[in-house]
Amino acid sequence: MANPSPIKTYSAEVIEKAPQRTAPVLHTFRLVLGRFTVERWITLAVFGLMFAGWQFVSTSGMVSEVVLPTPAAAWSGFWDLVDNGYHGWTLAGHARLSLQRVSLGFLTGSFVGTMLGLAMGYDRRIKDFFDPLIEFFRQLPQLAYLVLLIVWFGIGDRAQITLLFLTALPVASVAAMDGVRSTSIQRLQAARSLGANGWQVFRYVVLPSTLPEIFTGARLAIGVVYATVIAAEMIGGSAGLGWMILNAGELLRPDYVVVGIIILGILGLLLDRLIVGIERRVVHWAGRT
Amino acid sequence: MWRQVRSLRTVTGKPQLVSFVGAAPAVSAGGATRSLLRVAMSIRWLSVVSIALALAVWQVLNALRVVSPDLVPGPTAVARTFVDILVHGYRGTTLLQDILATLYRVAAAFVLASILGIPLGLAMGYNRWIRAAFDYVVQLTRPLPPLSYYILLIVWLGTGNSSKIALLYLTAFPILVIDTMAGVRATPIQKIQAAQALGANEWQIFRYVILPSALPMIFSGMSIAMAVTFSTVVAAELLAASDGLGWMVFSASKFLRNDVIIMTIIVLGLLGVCLTRVIRALDKHVIHWRGVE
Repeated sequence: MANPSPIKTYSAEVIEKAPQRTAPVLHTFRLVLGRFTVERWITLAVFGLMFAGWQFVSTSGMVSEVVLPTPAAAWSGFWDLVDNGYHGWTLAGHARLSLQRVSLGFLTGSFVGTMLGLAMGYDRRIKDFFDPLIEFFRQLPQLAYLVLLIVWFGIGDRAQITLLFLTALPVASVAAMDGVRSTSIQRLQAARSLGANGWQVFRYVVLPSTLPEIFTGARLAIGVVYATVIAAEMIGGSAGLGWMILNAGELLRPDYVVVGIIILGILGLLLDRLIVGIERRVVHWAGRT
Repeated sequence: MWRQVRSLRTVTGKPQLVSFVGAAPAVSAGGATRSLLRVAMSIRWLSVVSIALALAVWQVLNALRVVSPDLVPGPTAVARTFVDILVHGYRGTTLLQDILATLYRVAAAFVLASILGIPLGLAMGYNRWIRAAFDYVVQLTRPLPPLSYYILLIVWLGTGNSSKIALLYLTAFPILVIDTMAGVRATPIQKIQAAQALGANEWQIFRYVILPSALPMIFSGMSIAMAVTFSTVVAAELLAASDGLGWMVFSASKFLRNDVIIMTIIVLGLLGVCLTRVIRALDKHVIHWRGVE
């Protein structure tokens, strides 16, 4: 060939040699840097400023160590908690206790609530019957009846899990009910005219179109349950992250308090992500209808 | 939904087995009777029945001494306590005083959070630099259980009203910011483009296009924030307070006055329903075009 296309040979050469030419470390570095837009730099700068402010205020001697621990003190407090635990429980033990309560209360409460909500959405009479009770419990501050539950069941897991059950139930049932009631009438009619029976309409039309709402309810419910378990452990508990924070605060150990708050934030974020992840798997058609 | 299913059954030609309370057509009725019937039909009778049933079961269980009346006092005992506290007050505070103390904390924090949170949310939705600066800070505070930092606030501000208002403010603030921002960002681009094509300037677009279309989200954020604030104030008062409804529950539990606890719970539930109604009425008044579009 007298005049081979120079572009072709060049690109072939580049493709062949590319892996050897860029070191993998440099490659990842460029990828990471490439994603750093101005927005990300601003975000980073704000977090940096906040951290610097914390460091400055806590080390300058303007406030006492009891009021605000230094970042270094919080960091060593974290390792202290990891190594020695807190009042008979390891840090992971406290976290496990809290999460156990959350999952038990959330699972039972949202299961019963969702079932009730589906029935309430399907039949007007069931809705009218349960509506006042659900509405009352939904508006009621959860901690108000914790005291009563403690008097009835004693301090311990039974009162706490009952409380979380009662917290999750109305949230889940209202979401499920709204979901059923917003099922599009056209789909129902289509299924009916194709000869679907009541169960088939429920299983293949109502339930799938309700699932996104059910998951929205689950996300709301786990947030409320999580916030409630911490409050409940503070008011009537003897272990768990909420109790640990309150106890450390009363004993003037703000380093432990700060560590506890950060752990609670991370766990809360993870719980929310967990529900979103399950929703993505189950409602895989979301946004595509 | 129910009406939908019913009409479906008639469509498919199946016999109409469905009948529910209050739906019987008033066949031969005069004008007065008909309007009376209409009023009777508009009340959800099953709801009335369910409340009455709950009260009846409670009374019967109490009368049969299934559980000790000290643990679960009956409805009449609770009603008597209510009248007693209304007249004589509870441990030096009147009921109204406690209700007002709780409402004051909620209202102060809520107004403060709205004044600061809604403009910040609007700015974050409108400008991406501002959003970049505050988005992660706000998003990271949202999953925190409100009570977790209460003990720090007590150490900083004492056990009085200021630490409670700060706590409730921090509870409501991220919810308001995030929902307002989402409302701004959900403005349909077509509307903005239409306004631009008609010659609106930036301020006009913000005032007449973006703000109205963000309002429904702002109000839904406000109602969520109100509910969360209300349940948080009770928790905070249970932990450290000397007045307020949460304190009443706490103090009654120390003296094993379950009648007072149950009465306060009922008052709290009714108050919660009222607060939600207030926000809903405000919503209806401001967003008079909801459902018309």
